[in-house]
Amino acid sequence: MELLNKIFRVAHTIKGSGSFLSFDKLTHLTHHMEAVLDKARKGELHITPDIMDIILESIDAMKAILEYIRDNGNDTAPEIDVEPIVQKLDALSKGETPSSVTPEKEEKIGDLNLDEITADNLDDIDLSELSSEELDKVLDQLVNDINTAPESEDEIEEVEEENVQNEEEKASENTPVTSQNQSVVKKEKKELSKAEQQKALKKNIVSTKEQTIRVDVKRLDQLMNLIGELVLAKNRLIKIYNDVEERYEGEKFLEELNQVVSSISIVTTDLQIAVMKTRMLPIGKVFNKFPRIVRDLSRDLHKKIKLIISGEDTELDKSIIEEIGDPLVHMIRNAVDHGIETPQERIEAGKPEEGTVWLKAYNEGNMIVIEIKDDGHGMDAEKLKQKAIEKGIITPSEAENMGDKEAFMLIFKPGFSTAAKVTSVSGRGVGMDVVKTNIEKLNGIIEVDSVKGKGSTFKLKIPLTLAIIQALLVGSQEDLFAVPLSNVIETVRIVEEDIYTIEGKSVLKLRNEVLPLVNMADVFDVEKILEPEKYLYVVILGLGATKIGLIVDRFIGQEEIVIKSLGEFLKGLPGIAGATIRGDGRVTLIVDVGSLMKLAKETHNKKLATDSIKEAKKKKEKPSDYTVMIVDDSAMDRKIMHQALDELGVTVVEAKDGLEALNMLKQNDVDAMLVDIEMPRMDGYTLAQEIRKYNKYRKLPLIAVTSRATKSDRVRGVEVGMNEYITKPYTKEYLQNVIRRNLGI
Amino acid sequence: MISEPEKNKTEDIEQLVGFVVGEEEFAVPILSIQEIIKPIEWTKVPFVPDYILGVFNLRGNVLPLIDLRIKFGASSADIDENTRFIVMKIKNEDVAFIIDRLTSALRIPKKNILPPPDTYSNEDEIIEGVGRLDDGRIITILKIDNIIKREEIVPERD
Repeated sequence: MELLNKIFRVAHTIKGSGSFLSFDKLTHLTHHMEAVLDKARKGELHITPDIMDIILESIDAMKAILEYIRDNGNDTAPEIDVEPIVQKLDALSKGETPSSVTPEKEEKIGDLNLDEITADNLDDIDLSELSSEELDKVLDQLVNDINTAPESEDEIEEVEEENVQNEEEKASENTPVTSQNQSVVKKEKKELSKAEQQKALKKNIVSTKEQTIRVDVKRLDQLMNLIGELVLAKNRLIKIYNDVEERYEGEKFLEELNQVVSSISIVTTDLQIAVMKTRMLPIGKVFNKFPRIVRDLSRDLHKKIKLIISGEDTELDKSIIEEIGDPLVHMIRNAVDHGIETPQERIEAGKPEEGTVWLKAYNEGNMIVIEIKDDGHGMDAEKLKQKAIEKGIITPSEAENMGDKEAFMLIFKPGFSTAAKVTSVSGRGVGMDVVKTNIEKLNGIIEVDSVKGKGSTFKLKIPLTLAIIQALLVGSQEDLFAVPLSNVIETVRIVEEDIYTIEGKSVLKLRNEVLPLVNMADVFDVEKILEPEKYLYVVILGLGATKIGLIVDRFIGQEEIVIKSLGEFLKGLPGIAGATIRGDGRVTLIVDVGSLMKLAKETHNKKLATDSIKEAKKKKEKPSDYTVMIVDDSAMDRKIMHQALDELGVTVVEAKDGLEALNMLKQNDVDAMLVDIEMPRMDGYTLAQEIRKYNKYRKLPLIAVTSRATKSDRVRGVEVGMNEYITKPYTKEYLQNVIRRNLGI
Repeated sequence: MISEPEKNKTEDIEQLVGFVVGEEEFAVPILSIQEIIKPIEWTKVPFVPDYILGVFNLRGNVLPLIDLRIKFGASSADIDENTRFIVMKIKNEDVAFIIDRLTSALRIPKKNILPPPDTYSNEDEIIEGVGRLDDGRIITILKIDNIIKREEIVPERD
């Protein structure tokens, strides 16, 4: 009895789904099947082999239709004629005994020995009493038939339900559904027209067959970690290749090596993208709850609003999808509540009565952009400033220096609300602040644009993934830092004169914007050892709604980096998000832009960028302010050089070998070095190599003084970083000239 | 076959690795040591106490590097051919310490290890005990779990 019930329910479900999806033929057939089964389960119909035949026949027809739907997206299936079966079913449900039996069917059923069982069946309808295995077999077969064939609709609903749950509970970590499956399901959900629905359904049937598997997110994470390692190894390989290329230029094996390196590099990149994609979900997953939200809100607020969604196929990392929902809800609410006017106001403003909100997603480089646009009354920069002053968020003088765009950004400040009255929907001044925090968490950027009377546009730019990122490597004094490229708006080269001081704070005027300016070395409290150069390099960082200019000493370049934790003891350091291992095996710290911004603000209030530049400048006026170090193992040679240098008036220090020189270098402020090549403990080449490892001594003039005069010696000297090569014997004047030239005196 | 007294002996013996930091000889249990490596380049990290020199890459993992000289109040020393990094597991995290030189693996009977005398300043409880060696030397055994503490390194954020 239980089985019959089950069969009935399945038939009913198919009928329901069929009619929902407008598969008329299928519905027609299943409707009649249902009627027969209903009778059977109520005990009004004795199941005879003949009846079984007809039911099985109808199941076959149903299977055929489903297959047709899968392949063609509709159930027109011209070659399948359901009418005769329907008539038979009809007759059954009306209580008539079927007159004709299809012989082939009987044969098939004969195999299953059905006659015998159904004889029992006739005597007693109570199926539970039947222990016969054969009956079970037949019924199992029936159930299976129904359960496997109509998998389509059944499963869609199941998966769909699960997905909705996942989405709502955000507990999807434990019940991950592969993205392909979800994407198809999502597609199915959101597409409204019948044709599209059918198309999606078709895809779904195909994908639910065997083409998707569920994978634990942990496994994907593990995979991503491994690929991270691979990316590091690849970076390292490229670096090594570049070194080798320099040294063995023109050699034949280089070509081969190059091929291997580039193919590994390509495969690694592809692999990384592929794994990244498995973690991606279409943003439609988040978008599809908005039509309802907008509808409800507009009714509550007595506004007429149309929501136009596009780009819902744009894919984003799962973890980001989970984070983005709340901020988007806030922004949509805001657009509906604050952006769009009441129908009355709209008509007065000469706009269509119905307001429009656009929700758009698209890719832009390594970022995804989500745009929320409304054609409401826009924002009034002056009013915003006024309000901010009233609330004590900014000072009147700050307001004066503020451009429109900056004024729009005020809405993201905590405690700021523009709605004159607080509604149930928004206006409590919490929402936008939360939006900002959430977007910042994702390393995203918010851009606002608004035209008074025309509407506002909010752009959220969010990086596609969080584990492997593109970074700009910058040097601040001796240290290197990796800045997530997603937060780098641009890089500029300025001179000291470009820095203005407003209210005791350094700012940079960049086109129409005034940006706070800080020295990275001040932010991280790095010891200043490098002499400032003519040009200053500035990274313009953007996070959420804030922008800031960060002075660095060097730009190294762009690199793909893998974020690694600093471990239990060091994680959470201010301004540092983690570390990465570079191609040369060294560790480079990754800047946490959010935290850095906070530190930078503190620094900005405390220290003028110009001061810190001046600080680093050393004053050298007379020759004795300059120090020259002589490195030679022969006391005689040292003496000769010393005498020559004394005539110049410069300060001289002496070292007996490379190792001693290296130690002395750390204690003395040396401006130039005369280096002998052949020395015990550490020779001149090694010394030069060691010295050049420090950025601090990148420009320290190194002058080789040696009797080794062959070309290869000179080449070697240049390779290790010697600036000049003096061969012994030399005249005193020549040495003095070289030193003068190098010191610029 | 191990004879009875011999078995007792192995049970009662603490196996340690001795090393020198500054003027003093220290030891840590041999099992707490993951590996001992020659010094490699490290990267400075901002906003940490000065005894944390920075982080370095040990086969793809980023490990903190701690200068025990500074930690113990001595001035830091130059790195020479005897300098080593000792990598130890502390609370499931690998941490490396710079030491001036290794001395030897030690086997000290437990009965020769005494609790730290009161005269020692042991506020952080970083000393496990004091071991007396056969040759009369005294060695300080460190309690590695207490050598570094997160609270000291990263100030609690508001």
